[in-house]
Amino acid sequence: MFAFSLPRPRLAEDVVATLRPVTLAKSRIVPISEPWSSLTPGGGLRRGSTVVVHAQPGLGGLSVGLSLLSEASAKGHWAAVVGVDDPGVVAMTDLGVDLGRVLFVPRPRGAWAEAAADLLDGVDLLVVRAPSRASHGVARKLMDRVRERGTVLIVLTEPRAPWPLPVDLSFHLINSRWIMSSRLEARYVTLRVGGRGEAARRGEHVVMIPDSHGRAVRE
Amino acid sequence: MERLLALWAEPLGEERPDGSNLRDYLHVLDALGALCPFVEPVRLGLCTLPLRGPSRFFGGDAAVFAAVRQSVRDTLDLEVSLGVAEGLFCAELAARQEVVVASGETTAFRRAQSLATLGHKELTTTGRRLGLYTVGEFADLKSASVAERFSATIRVLHRVARGELAELPGQRDTRLAARLRSARGEDTRNDEQVSFFGQRSAGDDRAQAAAHRVRHRLGPEGVLVARLRGGRVPEDRSTMTPWGSPLRDVRDDAPWPGRLASPSPITSLHQPVGVELRDENDEPVRMGARGSLSARPASLVLVRGSCRAVVWFAGPWPLVEHWWTSPRRRAHLQVLLDSGEAMLLSAEGGRWWLVGIYD
Repeated sequence: MFAFSLPRPRLAEDVVATLRPVTLAKSRIVPISEPWSSLTPGGGLRRGSTVVVHAQPGLGGLSVGLSLLSEASAKGHWAAVVGVDDPGVVAMTDLGVDLGRVLFVPRPRGAWAEAAADLLDGVDLLVVRAPSRASHGVARKLMDRVRERGTVLIVLTEPRAPWPLPVDLSFHLINSRWIMSSRLEARYVTLRVGGRGEAARRGEHVVMIPDSHGRAVRE
Repeated sequence: MERLLALWAEPLGEERPDGSNLRDYLHVLDALGALCPFVEPVRLGLCTLPLRGPSRFFGGDAAVFAAVRQSVRDTLDLEVSLGVAEGLFCAELAARQEVVVASGETTAFRRAQSLATLGHKELTTTGRRLGLYTVGEFADLKSASVAERFSATIRVLHRVARGELAELPGQRDTRLAARLRSARGEDTRNDEQVSFFGQRSAGDDRAQAAAHRVRHRLGPEGVLVARLRGGRVPEDRSTMTPWGSPLRDVRDDAPWPGRLASPSPITSLHQPVGVELRDENDEPVRMGARGSLSARPASLVLVRGSCRAVVWFAGPWPLVEHWWTSPRRRAHLQVLLDSGEAMLLSAEGGRWWLVGIYD
């Protein structure tokens, strides 16, 4: 309509302070804490995306997966954890997770996918450890629903039950090594970051999880 | 069927012209509501709550009874009768008789009741003539012959006697909810869960709706919430309670000398799994009386047949607790397996238990 752009009217400062863009770029990201934020594009987890944390059992996959909840839960986002039978409440607290914002569905038995789908509508972050190998169809359905609802799905997998579909972001734990003193002191975990599109920090990184205070820190 | 804790307060069951019984009953409900959000008003003088969640939270059935009694005493200076059984019919009987029916024993309890407990005079008299004195004897009649000889009401009672229906017709006052609402005046806000979550946001509402759906799908123990509490070792400090059961914020700032230091296992087994710890000669490793190991651990047998090499260990760290009553002796040990997995073991009662995994 106009051949030139109209000069924007000058607005009072207090009015300016109340203005918000139509969609906040940041609101489409669920926050994560260091060291994960520096390993992911945009410094957070994009709503509607699926993240896989893949590891041999016992090498740190669960710690990494639950650690991804810390920042979001502390900022008031709700999270749910499906299929993790006996979560270590002390360790989660040490990782910085706000337990008041986390729902646990420890033993969903055959209904893990249904329980996950129920929760998708209610939480911003959903951690799922499938008790059995997820079929192509179930995975597809869940990921579609995640995209539609703008939730972030974090799937914990192990070699005998990999996630059947490509995902937006993945953390593959390739090595883990404990530091010992008179007790277990800390663990170095080497992980490979990958995924579709602009996974900014592809490649291998070393993270200390847990450190001697039970936290996750960048090496 | 769910075990219900029934609370029977006879003085509140009688209607009083000034309506004071209704107000008193309301006060009792409110007081109990602070302990558990799932208190169900049944009729004046009688209410129930599911026992399982509160029992887990308060640390046992007896602790729940004590908390309930105390809370009613504090509110009204009234002694109440408590009882536990499955289903409303049996739960009320249990409360009137002040008994706790053990899990799975409700059928036997119901069958032993006098026929009069079904509350039908004609049935009681006819039953006596037929030589039926207990609910069980009545239940043993074939449904077909009951249908042939008795009225529809008695057919329903027969189903209650057989345990097919959990409550008697008329046991529940259907007008009670409305009466309570009006007694409460304008204050009809939906206060479910407020005590737990405090102020609620839209996100909280969504999360709760989702939790409701899952609980509906998987049962009352389907959705849990976690809290920290005091203790020395991770498995004691973790509490998982059914979502919706009462939650107090448990302060965890008291000093616990001898507390196991961080890092803590990210898997903390609430029901420890028995394991075997063996030395290099394949002999069991034992805890000595002085808190030392009988030999250096060389392997860990997790489940029968799956033997893993132990490459390093730390501890044992002995714990003696409750020395003022009967002492509980435990010792914790960290082991690192050749696969790179680290685990927390506990020695108690002459054997080893897996209590945590540092996944």
